[in-house]
Amino acid sequence: MPRKSKFDKSKTCIKCKTARGNIVIRHAVYCKTCFTPLVVTKYKRCLDPHINAAPDGQRRSTLKASGNLLIGLSGGLGSTVLLDITSRCYFSTKSSTEDGRKGGKAHPKNDRVWKQASVCFVDTSRAFSEGVTKDRSEDIRAMVEQHKEFEFIVLRLEDAFDISWWKQLGGYVPSSDIRANLANEDLVITEAHLQSSDPVASLRSYLSSLPTATAVRSSINTLARLLLLHTARSMQCSHLLLGTSLTSLSISLINSIAQGGGFNVLEESFEEWTPQIARSAQDASSDSPHLAGGVCTVRVVRPLRDIGMKECAAWAWWNGLQVVGKDRTFDPDGKQTIGGLTKDFIVGLERDYPSTVSTIARTCAKLAPKNEPDGQCIVCERPAQRGIQDWKSRISIRSLEPPSPHPPHVASDDPPPISLTPHLCYACHTTLISRSSRSTVQNGAEASLAPLPVWTRSALVESDAADVMGTKRLVDHEDMRNAIGEFLLHD
Amino acid sequence: MPDSQPDSSHSDSNLSQNEPKIPLRVEFSGGLELLFSNQRSHRITLPSTVPHGDGTTKPTDITYLIDWLRRNLLKERAELFTDGATVRPGILVLVNDSDWELEGEGDYQLRPGDEIVFISTLHGG
Ligand SMILES: [Zn+2]
Ligand SMILES: [Zn+2]
Repeated sequence: MPRKSKFDKSKTCIKCKTARGNIVIRHAVYCKTCFTPLVVTKYKRCLDPHINAAPDGQRRSTLKASGNLLIGLSGGLGSTVLLDITSRCYFSTKSSTEDGRKGGKAHPKNDRVWKQASVCFVDTSRAFSEGVTKDRSEDIRAMVEQHKEFEFIVLRLEDAFDISWWKQLGGYVPSSDIRANLANEDLVITEAHLQSSDPVASLRSYLSSLPTATAVRSSINTLARLLLLHTARSMQCSHLLLGTSLTSLSISLINSIAQGGGFNVLEESFEEWTPQIARSAQDASSDSPHLAGGVCTVRVVRPLRDIGMKECAAWAWWNGLQVVGKDRTFDPDGKQTIGGLTKDFIVGLERDYPSTVSTIARTCAKLAPKNEPDGQCIVCERPAQRGIQDWKSRISIRSLEPPSPHPPHVASDDPPPISLTPHLCYACHTTLISRSSRSTVQNGAEASLAPLPVWTRSALVESDAADVMGTKRLVDHEDMRNAIGEFLLHD
Repeated sequence: MPDSQPDSSHSDSNLSQNEPKIPLRVEFSGGLELLFSNQRSHRITLPSTVPHGDGTTKPTDITYLIDWLRRNLLKERAELFTDGATVRPGILVLVNDSDWELEGEGDYQLRPGDEIVFISTLHGG
């Protein structure tokens, strides 16, 4: 039976029009020689316009970033290719790196786009019980160390619950442990005396109190993203690069919309993130301090977002890149989560209708939220809309329960309960509370008292939530200025 | 390390002595090697024609190779390698360094010395 051809006309490369083609990319045929500049051009077309702090229409001005560079590396195909192309395009110092130790990270090359560059790997191996997942950080270290120009940093997912990590970064953490009751949608905050300060235990407790496998997976992504962003900020990075390909971008766009993240769909492809610590610092002081180094905003760029997984695989193979592999053990078949189902769908679509996937990404890029953002979500630190509760109560079919009584260990003369809900975006609220028939949580309030990531705790204390708490602000501005003092510059 | 391992050699036990044979080199990459004894490079030999239903035969093609690999070399989780008679979506196949989509995909007729590479793209970003 005749098979529909996957390429347009001939097997000859459409670029040089002489060589025999080696690869079909969305119906177009390229030879190996033309493939390399094709990928590099797509990469630079995506990243270069975001490098200089101020946009310039003429484009030809020198590329110079306002801060350093951080590359997020998962060990997967996309980020492995990202690291390779970034190294070639912006840090190619092959001859000078060989002589002497100084040739690498601290090489005083003034024409460099970024002064310093680091690669950060977030290890998730301790998210679940020991032995389930292998810690691959040493394999990944060996791979990164082939690139002398990059410093290698390992973060652990449990750092999101590690007070000492947060303090190193200049964050403020209250002395009491703040937990949220995930058993009802008000997400009432409970302050307890510091119980367990073991970050691994807190991480596992947080993940195990989430309602669904989908919620666990998207929370792991959010925690890793915030660990990278806060690390980037602390290292005065103006740019965080992620290895999201066209294929994985389309997956995360559909996935995000399916999980209520439609308001933030643009952030899935490009994002400018200002840490809450910078926002609060500006609120806290009338003499408008700047963060040290002048970097307040981290741009999250995904330079591979026009490059499909197939092109990434071909790049890796033709350049002899070793792909360590990504941790997939927490969702081995991907069948149980919205993310896994979306992935199967998009990858199948890409094989059978290769142009459709880029249409998804382009269509989503045109979506714009109807309303202006109204603050920042304190879990994912993305723009949030106000009034989630009102809206949800209007569209949901459910039986209303009477307001929940105070948690048993809160004394009755305490101020009224504080809800986390007004400080969340729609997607995070849904992640924390949505039930499914395959709920992973046992009923019972104790199991649902979840520890919160350090930045969320910090934000709860610093934000107006403290005012809502009624009696006192948990920290005054002077304390906070002391805590973040080293990041402040006075005029 | 997978690279330092010698090639493993296999041949189809059904091969008769004087029938023409097709020696091939098969490579797995991108994590697929984990399904094949964590071995990236394999040398195999297939017959030049294979049964094709109703007593007829056909020249050995990649569709046959995929089925042969699934039956003979795959150690675990066939669903991560095959999807019906072809490979699972997300696996790039190269025939002598060229995208198999340029070569007729599964219908490509194998020739002695061909190098067939299977690369998984499913390890994400
Ligand atoms: Zn060409
Ligand atoms: Zn959020």
